[in-house]
Amino acid sequence: MTAEVSTQREADREIVVSRIIEGPRKVVFDAFTDVTHLGQWWVPDGSTITTRTFDFRPGGVWDATIQRPGGAEFPNYIVWKEIAPPERIVWLYYAMGKNDPNAVETRLTLAERGDTTEATLRLVFGSKEQRDQAAQYHAARGAQQSLDSLAAYVGGGR
Amino acid sequence: MARAATTSDAFNAVAEPQRRRILTLLKGRERPVNELARALRITQPRTSKHLRVLREVGLVQVREAGQQRLYGLDARGLRPVHEWVVGFEQFWGEKLDRLNEYVRKQQEQQKESTDDGGS
Repeated sequence: MTAEVSTQREADREIVVSRIIEGPRKVVFDAFTDVTHLGQWWVPDGSTITTRTFDFRPGGVWDATIQRPGGAEFPNYIVWKEIAPPERIVWLYYAMGKNDPNAVETRLTLAERGDTTEATLRLVFGSKEQRDQAAQYHAARGAQQSLDSLAAYVGGGR
Repeated sequence: MARAATTSDAFNAVAEPQRRRILTLLKGRERPVNELARALRITQPRTSKHLRVLREVGLVQVREAGQQRLYGLDARGLRPVHEWVVGFEQFWGEKLDRLNEYVRKQQEQQKESTDDGGS
């Protein structure tokens, strides 16, 4: 019974996103391996990304800054954790930059589907704090409207 | 009465209704603390306390303007909140959509160059 509860919690702190990518798995995998490739799709049109460090190997870092059209700048800090060509890449995503204490483990799995590739991203919230944080956010959902306007502000790049 | 967790991240900071109201008020333009206190109908020291929390998590910034200190939104701190609001699904889903576009273009270019080569 205890096991069941903890399994449930594990599921609760995961988010899964998947898409069919119209191309062979090798091409999809290669899109991650080189910063000149990543630069072409990682950020939305209009934003630019400036890379300071890119070291694509386990333990290596991708340290970059994203500039939004309005001029606002955001950190893009990733530590590659596991690289298994051509099917799996795991990284730690530091949304608030290098010193973000709540890095989210992000696991990408690439599966061949005929001529296409199914890409599945699994975000795993590691710590109890992160889980609590997410729970607290959802508890505060009544604030959706003001948060929506914040989103519009951020989304509009001011 | 200090709650360590509150000051440590943006999510806890926006979980408090009055702090969300401050952010909403600052959305339109910068404001001094007395104006915020009046709008919220709370004391100035209380307002300052909220502003301090918001500044510590990078949601609000302050600048000197003559005699006044003006508070405004800080977009950097909003990013993780934005990711939550828009949803992690959308944030990463959009990345995968762009990846799809990129891979499709790669395929087309490769096909074109093969065609040109007339293998």
